[in-house]
Amino acid sequence: MDAHPVRLILSDDLKRNRLTVFFRLLLAIPHFIWLAVWGVGALLVAVANWIATLIGGRSPRLLHIFLASYIKYATQFYGYFYLAANPYPPFDGRAGYPVDVTIEPPQSQRRWTVALRGILALPALLLFWTLAGSPGFGTRRRAGATSYTLYGGGLLHTVALVGWFASLARGMLSRGLRDAAAYALSYGAQVWAYVFLLTDRYPNSDPLLALPELPARDHPIGLAVRDDLRRSRLTVFFRLPLAFPHLVWLTLWAVLALIAAVANWLSTLLAGRSPAALQRFLTRFLRYSVHVYAFLYLTANPFPGFVGVPGSYPVEAVIAQRREQSRLKVAFRIVLALPALLIGSAYSTLMTSAAIVGWFAALATGRMPRGLRNASALALRYTAQTSAYLLLLGDAYPYSGPYSLAAPSTDPPAAEAAPALG
Amino acid sequence: MPTARPASARAGGRAAQAAFGGAVGRGGRRIAVALAVGAFAAAWAWAAHALWRSSVPAGLNPPHLHASRYFSASFLSRSSSFERFQDIDGLLATLTLLGVLSLYARRGHRLMGESAAGRIGTGMLLGMLGFALVWLAEFPFGLAAVWWQRRHHISHQGYVTWALDSFLSLGASFLFVSLALLVAMGLAGVLRRWWWAVAAPAFVGLALLSTFLSIYLIPNVGPLRNRAIAADVAALARAEDVPGTKVVVQKVARYTTAPNAESVGFGPTRRVILWDTLLNGRFSRKQVDFVAAHELGHIAHHHQLKRVGWLALFLIPASALIALLTRRRGGLARPEAVPVALLVYVALQLAALPLWNVVSRREETEADWSALKATREPATGRALFERLATTSLDDPAPPAWSYVLYADHPTLMQRIAIVEAFARRPADYNPRSR
Repeated sequence: MDAHPVRLILSDDLKRNRLTVFFRLLLAIPHFIWLAVWGVGALLVAVANWIATLIGGRSPRLLHIFLASYIKYATQFYGYFYLAANPYPPFDGRAGYPVDVTIEPPQSQRRWTVALRGILALPALLLFWTLAGSPGFGTRRRAGATSYTLYGGGLLHTVALVGWFASLARGMLSRGLRDAAAYALSYGAQVWAYVFLLTDRYPNSDPLLALPELPARDHPIGLAVRDDLRRSRLTVFFRLPLAFPHLVWLTLWAVLALIAAVANWLSTLLAGRSPAALQRFLTRFLRYSVHVYAFLYLTANPFPGFVGVPGSYPVEAVIAQRREQSRLKVAFRIVLALPALLIGSAYSTLMTSAAIVGWFAALATGRMPRGLRNASALALRYTAQTSAYLLLLGDAYPYSGPYSLAAPSTDPPAAEAAPALG
Repeated sequence: MPTARPASARAGGRAAQAAFGGAVGRGGRRIAVALAVGAFAAAWAWAAHALWRSSVPAGLNPPHLHASRYFSASFLSRSSSFERFQDIDGLLATLTLLGVLSLYARRGHRLMGESAAGRIGTGMLLGMLGFALVWLAEFPFGLAAVWWQRRHHISHQGYVTWALDSFLSLGASFLFVSLALLVAMGLAGVLRRWWWAVAAPAFVGLALLSTFLSIYLIPNVGPLRNRAIAADVAALARAEDVPGTKVVVQKVARYTTAPNAESVGFGPTRRVILWDTLLNGRFSRKQVDFVAAHELGHIAHHHQLKRVGWLALFLIPASALIALLTRRRGGLARPEAVPVALLVYVALQLAALPLWNVVSRREETEADWSALKATREPATGRALFERLATTSLDDPAPPAWSYVLYADHPTLMQRIAIVEAFARRPADYNPRSR
């Protein structure tokens, strides 16, 4: 497949200046004002571009340049604001910023997609909201009492929040956090280029294609994906009720897993490594939960078994054998896991959005779009790593960005008991 | 005299002996099977007779009444038209159900490829997908029924709400079918052909448990706030020999205007549930009391437990038949037999429906009789049934086919006739005694 006409360029070195990080919100104020002014102009130009493209079948060059510059500037600014880059960005969207996008010159576009662009863009906008939606604060009055609700925002906001503390502490941002933010920025640029008719190529939500270069990692908790993207329309349509028996069974299993996790915490704190029996039990539980969620969120097609047999499902958590763990990290595991849980909740929202969009796509075509499947797999992998970290199946911190699928060493299948059911 | 016979003669003798022995074995086995079947049939008949007993006097002879004496011609025409549509809609839905399941029984096993769940898990998936296809096929009929009820102001549930509720309630059906298949296929894996002999009692046990816990599974249930009616119900419970039975209210007014009530549970979980549509001022206090007395009558005569008994009488032969008819697909231990099992079960259930309705109508009559004895208010009973007809658009005298297939309660005319019969029996009716 050809490369997407809107591509992210990344030359950031991960170093962050603590002073500018601390004041990032205030330093961004001039850019916010300029972005708003430019945004009004872009909106008007976008309407003119829609009419011109509908008539001519191609975006006029001047309008294209104006809108492309706006998207480049917005990406650079948000890259700065959300800590994906360090230097203060220019106000004109000129090339060379560490987080930038390249947008190809105007190409001819199918007129019907131009005419219906506002409707066609809705699924992409939903995913974009999940990745980069703003946090909010709501109040509601009922029977004289006021209740408050805090909306956490999308992945971009969450990684920026976590990254702010990390950058202040270490003077640099971890690659995982930067890449998660870059993935959201890349998708955002593609969405706005599509909405503004700079291209008729649909935004690609595939995290493996979002970055110019993927790191290879050997995390002890991985996700093996052998899914062929085919989906049964019948089981897709009824996916939620079909998952009910699994969800009930998973809940019952989770009660036992919680007790086992507490026992595992105490044992690991004393012995420095998990007891083999508890490790096996919790590994089985985690593998099963990944099977269930992969089925529920359309990351995979077949109905999973009920006991988490290794190798039985096309999307599977691959969990390394038990190792020695730092007692200090074990003692404070819940506190240490808080940032991962925050990011995990943002990824869970992404998984839900991907499932909603994928549900319609799979019903229509009988296939899950690769981009959605991979976005869902990324989210699933992160939540599996977070769960494994909490359950003390390892002490490797969850990696929040996409990486190439280098499978870690696995536990031997012979160690698993024969299935009693399924 | 030869001391040894030739080898061929020895072989022939052994064959003859074996054949004779086989014939005796087969004959003996047949006799044993016939005896077992006979004993089972006798036990079945005895149990059915015990469950059939009723406290309604045998020689009651309720009068034949004409609906036109109690209801206006316009109401009779309207209720008849309302019910006719629903009956035909229901009949078409049933035929569709059978058609879909027949097709599924032939081709459903092709969906096994959609599972990575092993033997029992795949069986569960096939069971759920069978229900899913039925839901899809019956969806238009359900939608038509909602439209019809909305048109007649019986329901005010929105179409989208109905569709979503219906879709999500599939989850409960899926849980039920998964549990049933887990039990049946798990046992079939161990006991092979004889799984049903253990599964049927297990299902009956589960039904008993579900009956016991049913009050906790019903949504939107709260206490009865009307103290006067609560006091009346307490007095009626004492009169019907079920003192201490609690009465609660279920909020359904969001979905329907139809009035109703039910009794659930047994022992400590027994409850009378009144719908809030019964308590919104359309019915007098005495009429609500009569409804509660009717439900207490169900509890007093152990109808909940009797229904489990009837279910046992149905399930034992039904599961044996399922075991027999799924053999061609390798028995219920194999997932490919599940679509066939589903068809057989549903077909048996439909075939038993008229009989089940007879049983249900008999119990309802007994509950009415019990209410009449407890309240000694035949006039209230008569007025209540007339009011129920107008508020629910219930056809007082439906056509025979609809009565046989769908009526799990006596017709309103039959119920009024029971009231009239009670009123004519001076021994049971003394208005001053209350």
